[in-house]
Amino acid sequence: MPRAATAWAGVAVAATDARDKAGAIIAAALALPGVVAHADNAPEHGQVAVKYLDYRDSQPGFDRIKVKAPSIYVLAPLSPKWAVEGSLVSDSVSGATPRYHTAISGASKMKEERIAGDVKVTRYAERSSYGFGLSHSGEHDYKSNAASFDASFSSDDSNRTWNVGVGFSADKISSTNDATLHEKKHTTELLLGVTQALTGNDLVQMNVTANAGRGYFSDPYKEPDIRPRKRDQGIVLVRWNHHFADLGSTLRSSYRFYHDNFGINAHTLGAEWVQPAGSLITVTPSARYYSQSAAKFYYDPIYDPVVGAPYPPGYFTNPPRYISPDQRLSAFGGITVGLKVALLLGADWSTDLKAEHYEQRSSWRVGGAGSPGLDAFRATFLQLGVSKRF
Amino acid sequence: MSESTRSTRAVCAIFAVAAAGLGGCAINPPQPWEKGNLAKPEMTMGADPLDQRFVQHIYGSKENASGGYGVGGGGCGCN
Repeated sequence: MPRAATAWAGVAVAATDARDKAGAIIAAALALPGVVAHADNAPEHGQVAVKYLDYRDSQPGFDRIKVKAPSIYVLAPLSPKWAVEGSLVSDSVSGATPRYHTAISGASKMKEERIAGDVKVTRYAERSSYGFGLSHSGEHDYKSNAASFDASFSSDDSNRTWNVGVGFSADKISSTNDATLHEKKHTTELLLGVTQALTGNDLVQMNVTANAGRGYFSDPYKEPDIRPRKRDQGIVLVRWNHHFADLGSTLRSSYRFYHDNFGINAHTLGAEWVQPAGSLITVTPSARYYSQSAAKFYYDPIYDPVVGAPYPPGYFTNPPRYISPDQRLSAFGGITVGLKVALLLGADWSTDLKAEHYEQRSSWRVGGAGSPGLDAFRATFLQLGVSKRF
Repeated sequence: MSESTRSTRAVCAIFAVAAAGLGGCAINPPQPWEKGNLAKPEMTMGADPLDQRFVQHIYGSKENASGGYGVGGGGCGCN
């Protein structure tokens, strides 16, 4: 479902009060693209949302990265057939990250700012919509520009929506460690998806995505790190939302399978339980499980007995074509638990607070052994938001 | 069993489950007056757009797998 449509549905219902709740929900249903009739028009209401995001991660005995990120999202209907939406985020990043595996000694220190933004214009037509988007992300050593086009087509009964999307991104990479590094990479994305209303309480979506990337995929802040200049990815995502009418609760579940030519297979399971508590408060506990195999060129933290870390045995006598000590390319499992509380502050205002704890451990991988010799990785995410419709 | 064989079987299983689900829906599609619950914000796939951007950015920075939710996002040099 297009982001505008998603946000629109949220805005359309957010202002519902106890007095006319049923009527408002039905009205929103009649305006929900891809689910029921009247998918032809842009959102009736706009939205401005502001969030303050706080992120920090660590491993035992070592605080790694902290990020503070204020962000804003705007959705504005321009006419009955056109809408524009966009977001802007500013990341202040500080801390240090290991140069190889989870070694604390010699960690790369950093302090930088990242600005990222995106804008998307959507045209609504009879039983279809067409969106064009641009995005940019800029750091002192990494710049990314992307463009995308997506289209949605609804069935006659509006119970099924087909989605197709194409995207292209162009990135420029440099490094504070190497003034001569000026690399690029390009990625093309293709997405095909279908969203189906199974019943009046079940919505299922399946997306199949193929990405083809060419260029520089190494990490200039890892040592030694030489990755293939080609990265092809295949992703299948299945999401299922079920509403329990008796409880007024909703279970949002998802499964994602990922494969790439680095040799990594990954599985992601997610679940959120959305529980209204009265007419003003919604409580949403969530859990996520992730597991991945290691890249073919990842090596375990076993070092050359003569040269020592970070080089694997034989690195200088018989150097490998590709190699990386990046923990993110190792085999591990990750678990996230979270809780979100949202509060309606009136007809047009709402606020929310979300806290999540994330942890990676080699032993949590399923379907095979995890990579040995790595410390656990932990992170906490906090979000505080305010939203207003207009 | 090789990694690629397991991957192929996993993808086939996903398609089979999805096809079974979508086939079932054709038997009992909701009528327009039965769709009120589908319009609830928590029933939409994307939900909170800033929340989604934030967490996908984090996971894309700390795990190898990313994407699948849409097109158009650019990369970053995140560590």
